[in-house]
Amino acid sequence: MTQTAPPPNTPGSLDSVPNAAKKHWVGPWALLGPPGLWLVLLLVLPTLVIFELSLVPGIRPGDLVNPSGLDNYTQIFESVYLRVMLRSLLFAIGTTVVSLVLGFPVAYWIALMSPKRWRNLLLVAFILPLWTSSLLRSYAWISILRPTGVLNSFLGIFNLPALDILNQSPAVLVGMSYSFLPYMVLILYSSLEKLDLKLLEAAADLGATPIQSFWKITVPQSFQGIAAGSLLVFIISLGDFINPELLGGASSMTVSRLIYNQFLGPTQNWGFGSSLSMIMIFAVSAAVALLIRYGNTSSGKV
Amino acid sequence: MAGGSYSRRAFLQQTAAAAMGLSLSSCGWRLANVRPTNTASADTSKLYIFTWAGYTDKALLEQFTAETGVSVVVDIYDSNEAMLAKLQSGGGGAYSIVYPSDYMVRRMRDLDLLQELDRDRISGLDSLFEPYQDPSYDPNNRHSVPVSWGTTGLVYNRKSLGTEPQDWDFLWDQREKLTRRMTLMNDTRETMGASLRRLGFSYNAEDPEAIRKAFEALQELKPFLANFTTDAWRDRIVAGDLSVAMGYSVDAVGVESENPDLGYVIPASGASLWTDTMAIPVTAPNPDAAHAWIDFMLRPDVAASVTKSLSFATPSRDAFELLPPDISENPSLFPPDDVLAKCEGLAPVGASTALYERYWNQLTSG
Amino acid sequence: MSAIQPNLDSQEDIVETMATPKLRISWQGAFSTVMYFLMYLPILVLTVYSFNESPYSAGWKGFTWRWYGQLFGDTRILTALRTSLAVALLAVGLSAVLGTMMSVGLSRYKFRGKKLYLGMSYLPTIVPDIAMAVATLVFLAALAIPLSLWTIIAAHVVFCLAYIAIVVSTRLADLDPHLEEAALDLGATPVQSFFKVLLPQLAPGILSGCLLAFVLSLDDFLISSFTAGSGATTLPMEIFSRIRTGVKPDVNALSVLLILFSGAIAFAGEYVRYRNQAKKAG
Repeated sequence: MTQTAPPPNTPGSLDSVPNAAKKHWVGPWALLGPPGLWLVLLLVLPTLVIFELSLVPGIRPGDLVNPSGLDNYTQIFESVYLRVMLRSLLFAIGTTVVSLVLGFPVAYWIALMSPKRWRNLLLVAFILPLWTSSLLRSYAWISILRPTGVLNSFLGIFNLPALDILNQSPAVLVGMSYSFLPYMVLILYSSLEKLDLKLLEAAADLGATPIQSFWKITVPQSFQGIAAGSLLVFIISLGDFINPELLGGASSMTVSRLIYNQFLGPTQNWGFGSSLSMIMIFAVSAAVALLIRYGNTSSGKV
Repeated sequence: MAGGSYSRRAFLQQTAAAAMGLSLSSCGWRLANVRPTNTASADTSKLYIFTWAGYTDKALLEQFTAETGVSVVVDIYDSNEAMLAKLQSGGGGAYSIVYPSDYMVRRMRDLDLLQELDRDRISGLDSLFEPYQDPSYDPNNRHSVPVSWGTTGLVYNRKSLGTEPQDWDFLWDQREKLTRRMTLMNDTRETMGASLRRLGFSYNAEDPEAIRKAFEALQELKPFLANFTTDAWRDRIVAGDLSVAMGYSVDAVGVESENPDLGYVIPASGASLWTDTMAIPVTAPNPDAAHAWIDFMLRPDVAASVTKSLSFATPSRDAFELLPPDISENPSLFPPDDVLAKCEGLAPVGASTALYERYWNQLTSG
Repeated sequence: MSAIQPNLDSQEDIVETMATPKLRISWQGAFSTVMYFLMYLPILVLTVYSFNESPYSAGWKGFTWRWYGQLFGDTRILTALRTSLAVALLAVGLSAVLGTMMSVGLSRYKFRGKKLYLGMSYLPTIVPDIAMAVATLVFLAALAIPLSLWTIIAAHVVFCLAYIAIVVSTRLADLDPHLEEAALDLGATPVQSFFKVLLPQLAPGILSGCLLAFVLSLDDFLISSFTAGSGATTLPMEIFSRIRTGVKPDVNALSVLLILFSGAIAFAGEYVRYRNQAKKAG
């Protein structure tokens, strides 16, 4: 699963054989046409359609689609929905920070400190939970965090006060960090693996403290991995539905849940749902664009 | 080869142009116009049913299959609105039976989503109790047949509360003590309705002022709620994580049998009285089996046995008479008339639907 | 829980084999051990409850195999599992072809609008699931296409093909472009060189791409539930509705079987890779 959304790889080496291309039996459209058509039909056009739908206030199935204004978007900017967006954003940022803080030492240990022959196995073992149903993993956290659950039974043994966090934001954060930590470790691992240990040794010889060499060498050297991992976790957690839905409560509405409710839930406002989706697509694209720009400048420095 | 790829490109451009034209034409198009699918697999050996959780069980389906040779596939939903959404978005083409509640029957009938029933193929319609013979939501049961009825009230754990709630007010009065130990339903009309009723309005209020007041009252309660959920409270109240939950009477009877500390009350200021029905969508691919199913479910022995095993409240007099006294005298399932007199059925609220939904979105988002 | 074992062993290894500063190793190693434990804690909890006599998973009421027996008699879950497998297999099969075509085409040709095409090919990995699900539902509703098993498959192909294309591209970038050229120079027809030279070299990439897409497709809840027609309930949809309406321990039993199954696949894959590397090295 190493390949989740790496930066676009530019196939430079193959571009250099224009003569061979002429000899090939298949034209570019025969190769690129069918998959392109599939994406256009089932992704690009649908996105255009929800954009059009987002311009129809209060539309529900069976209504006539007649784009007539930005009402849906102005509705989003009511304070209550701004709060929902802010909450989603905070969940995503929180998850990213938690995964980075918890994931970095683990990735560092697997990539650089564990015995070489175990490394692949250790990595696989860490990301193995990703292979189970994400719904069941969230559900397991319900059993752990509920008032009469595993955590409180455990705390009870030591006469510690019970923790009541299910149906609140901390529970969502726990579930999301747990779900997406393996992605972070995976990406950090592949960038830490290439870290030049000699640099660290040299720094130590020159009298740098471990903290200094961490900030001056380890972090800059693995910056690409940190950025890519953070972006990936940020994107996935921004769009996550399962954890907020199952672990959250009456006061942890997120954008994904709100969108879901407009289509398959108790309220049916397809126009409002579409405009929320457009905002989400826009936010994620902005995050990616930011990374591409920022990522390039930093790689120039190194 | 060049010709081939050129025509492919042309095809691509044409398709794109056609689709763009569709989506950007100024005259507008109709979103999700549900039509009957004539091509739908005319497989008469299968019956697809769309119903509430806990409305069928394995034994029931096996009995039907044994009698008719038709195998049954059941999908479930948790609110009338979710069911309607699925049908309207074209995801319900295979269903021959749906279980809309009273007000939803009316709404679906107005949207031309329901078939008129062939009464000759359904026996047992005359054995329904008087009020169900000619219900206001569907005169003469032309499009739907009642299958179960009940109320919406409060399920509570008398041990952890130390008292028995009597009215909706209990939630508001005790809210600090009940922090994250109570749930309300994830259902616009039921939850808004309960709040309306507590303030002395009708469940079907269309006065914007009344709706706003009900919304504000719920807003006050919200920080203390564990969740809005129609189904997910059952496990958790049995396990003792919750103290009070708003729920349907049929679910309440189910959990009462699993934990003796649990009780059910119909709030004194009144609750909603609902009827769930069986109906056949216009798109139904297998209306024959659908009629057979309705006929089967109305049979007194079947209706009585599901009343026992799934804690339905049957609207059939013949079935009611077959019930053992401990069920027919269970006040949660069959409340006395004076309690029922305070209850009120939901009715479509027409243009106010959008207002209800707007407030609901605000309530659940804040 | 066996997966934690190698970790503990390896720590002993470190202590034995490396004489480097002990303090630093122990904090990262100890921290990692705790994190490994946390990663498997929820799975451990599910496993324990799947053997619990009490159906409400509150306290321990005694050991039982009952829920596993019940699981195999549960036709709803088994049907849902079959639906999920059918969706995943068909979607991945189609995506393997389309995704490989796309990455080979992108690596080979320069054309106007290539950047745009490339951007589009990354969209499914970037756009949140909920937005893709909504867009597909609305689009199908706009064209009044009835939802069915096939609409789920079509929607799954979108993201499966994108992930497969990415994985295959990574592999393509490592290949020697002159090999295929040489085959052509030696008189092989383009068809021959494609199937005899390029495809065998790409096979490992295609395979690991398929594996990734397969897992993503099996696990997808949102896109399936928005595009599913009546009767086409996938396993995640069934699990979701059970979590809402009250989980019985047979779902716990199911999750235990699922992780054993996927764990076996993951380790088998890793073992094969390990053997291959050993061969190359030897």
